[in-house]
Amino acid sequence: MKKAQSDAYVRKFSFRAFEGVRKGRVYRLWATSWQWWTHQWERSRAIKVLLGFIIFILVITNLFLLSFKDFMLYEPGTRIPLINPTTGEPMTTNNLLEQNLLELVRGLVTFQTSFSSQTPGGGEMGMSIGGLSIFILILIALVGSGLIADDVSNLTTEIYYSKLERHEYILGKFGAFFLFGNLVIVLPMVLEFFLLVAGLGEISLIQAFPVLIQTIIITEIIVLTFASIVLGFSALTSRRLYAGLAAFMFLFVLNMIIPSLAFSGQGEVGFQILFDVLTLLLLTSFIITGTTEVIYYPHGETSEISYIIDLANGSGIESWMVIGALAMYILLGFAIVVYQVYRRHAR
Amino acid sequence: MQSEIIVTDSLTKFYGKIKGIEDISVEIPSGNVAFLGPNGAGKTTLIRTLLGIIHPTKGTARVLGYDIRKEINQVRDRIGYVPEFDTSFIPDMTAMKFVAFCARMNGLSVSESKQRASDSLYYVGLDEERYRKLGTFSLGMKQKVKLATALVHDPEIIICDEPTNGLDPTGRVQMLSLIRSLQKNEGKDIILSSHLLRDVEQIADYTLVFSKGEIRAQGNIKELTAEKRSSISIKVRSNQEKFLQRLNDKGIESWIDGIYIESQISHDVEKEIFKIANETNADIRYLGNRSRTLEDVFINLFSKEDLIE
Repeated sequence: MKKAQSDAYVRKFSFRAFEGVRKGRVYRLWATSWQWWTHQWERSRAIKVLLGFIIFILVITNLFLLSFKDFMLYEPGTRIPLINPTTGEPMTTNNLLEQNLLELVRGLVTFQTSFSSQTPGGGEMGMSIGGLSIFILILIALVGSGLIADDVSNLTTEIYYSKLERHEYILGKFGAFFLFGNLVIVLPMVLEFFLLVAGLGEISLIQAFPVLIQTIIITEIIVLTFASIVLGFSALTSRRLYAGLAAFMFLFVLNMIIPSLAFSGQGEVGFQILFDVLTLLLLTSFIITGTTEVIYYPHGETSEISYIIDLANGSGIESWMVIGALAMYILLGFAIVVYQVYRRHAR
Repeated sequence: MQSEIIVTDSLTKFYGKIKGIEDISVEIPSGNVAFLGPNGAGKTTLIRTLLGIIHPTKGTARVLGYDIRKEINQVRDRIGYVPEFDTSFIPDMTAMKFVAFCARMNGLSVSESKQRASDSLYYVGLDEERYRKLGTFSLGMKQKVKLATALVHDPEIIICDEPTNGLDPTGRVQMLSLIRSLQKNEGKDIILSSHLLRDVEQIADYTLVFSKGEIRAQGNIKELTAEKRSSISIKVRSNQEKFLQRLNDKGIESWIDGIYIESQISHDVEKEIFKIANETNADIRYLGNRSRTLEDVFINLFSKEDLIE
C-alpha cells in the first residue's frame, strides 16, 4: 500500500514534463547572486552582528548630532547663527547634514588617514564617532572571501560551469557582492540621509538632494573597489581563510604603512599614497564632492604640522592620478578573477 | 526521438601538451549508453567538452542537433549532469535549496524550481532528508542529490559520471536502479561513464570503450559480447602449453584467449580434443561454446600495459 502511494505521487509530480518557458540569461545570473546572498545571510551570524554594530554607530551619531544641533548652529547661549567658515554665510541645517553625512561616508574608508577640508564637504563640524571602516573590512573579508574560493574547494564550479557561461558566473559573483555591499554599505548611508533629514528638520530637500547623490556614488565606488579586491583574492586560492586574511591584510596593512611613508617628507606628499586603496577611496570621495584641497594633520588637528594636497593645481598628487590608481586596482582585481575563471578553472 | 543524440566530429582536447581526447568522431544513439574505460581514458574530458565546461582544442559536436560551439546554452538546458566528484555542493546548504538553485540556473522560475526540487528529491528517495544540510549527508545520499540536481530541470539526456563511486553494495544497487528507471519509465537518454564493467553491463545497451583519449571500440553490447561461433573454448588445468602445441600440430588451429584455449570448430573436433588431452595428460575442465562477457571484450581490447596503468 505504501509503495502504491509512493508511486502515485511520483507519477503525479516527479516527471511532469517541464512545459513552462525557461527564463533568460539575466534571470540565471540574478539567481546566482541572490542565492549566494540569501545563503550568506542565513548562515552567518557575523554579518548580522557586524551590521548591528554599524546601525548602532549610526544611531549614536544621530543622537549626538540631534542633541547638539543648536551648539553647531548658534553662538553659545544665543540665537545668533554661527558663520560657515567656507561660505561666510550663516550655518544652516543643510550644512550640518552635508558635513556629517559625508563624514560618516568617509568613515567607511578612514582607518589611519583622516583628511579634512575647509571647503564644502569637509569634516570640520563632524560629530560622528566614525571608524566604521574596521567593521566593514572585517565584514567584507568574512563574507566575500568564500565567493569563488568555496566553489573551487567544494568543486561547485563543475555545477556552475555546466549551467552558466563563465562571464555569467563572474557577473553573478560580482552581483552577489554588490547585493551584500549595497545592504551593509550603501543602504545604511541612504537611510542615514533620510533619518537626518527627518531629525534635523528645516531642511530644503532640493538643496540636500546632491548630497544624497554624492553619498550613493561614493558608497557604490567603495563597494565596487572592495568587490574587485576581495573577489580577486578569492579567485586566487581555494581556501576562504587565506583569501579573507589576504584581502584584510592588503587593505589594512597598506593603510598602516603607506600614509606614514607618504607623509614623511617636509610638506611634500609622496606618490606612495597612490598605492593605498583606502586613502585613494578617501581622496576620491573628496573629488566627488568637489573638494580639491584636502589637509592632513599627522599628529592631530591641534598640531602645527600639516600636509595640504591640492588635487587640481597641476603639481604633485592630482585628481586624475587618484582616480587612475583606484581604477587600476579595480581592473587588476577584475583581471585576476577573469584570468582564474577562464584559464585556471578551465582544466 | 532522433536516433543519434550526440554526434562528434574530430573532437580533440589537449591540456597544454597533455592529451585529453583526440580526434573523436562518433554517433551516439539514444537509449542507455556507456562510456567505458580505465581512469584517465578521456571519458570525463569528453563529457565536460560536450557540456561546455571546457572548450575543445579542435573539432566540434552536436548534442540533440545543437552545436556545442555556437549553441552551448541550448545544450546545457537539455542535459542533466551528475559530476563524478564526491562534493560539488555547497555543504552548508540544505538539499532542497541546492536542488532548487540548480533549477533556477537552468531557467526555471522560483515557484517551479521549488516544486520540482521537492519532487526530484522525492524521486531519488530523499524526501525526508530534503531540509538537512548537504554536509551531513552520507556518500550515497550525496550521489542521490546529484542525480536530483540533474533531473530537476527535466533534461532530455542525463549524464552520470561514475555515479556509483565509493558506494556500498546497497547504495550501488539503489543508484543503478534509479538510473535504469529514468530510461525505462521517464524516457530519458542515459549516458553512464564508468570503469566498472558490472555497472555498464547492468545499465547500457550501447557502449564506447575509451583508452588514452581515443575510442577503441563501440557498438551494441549484445553484438560486442556475441558468442564466437567459429571457435570452441577449452579450459585445461595442466600441460596447457603442450596441449595447445599438439592441437596446432594436428591441424586444429588454436590460440590462447585469457584463461581459455580457443579452437577452430571442425568436424569431430571434440573427439580429437579429448584424444589429444589424453595423449598430453591435460585435464579438461571446460569444453563448449563460451559467451563473451564485457570483461572479455575489455581485456582483449587492452594490452597488459594498458591494464596495469
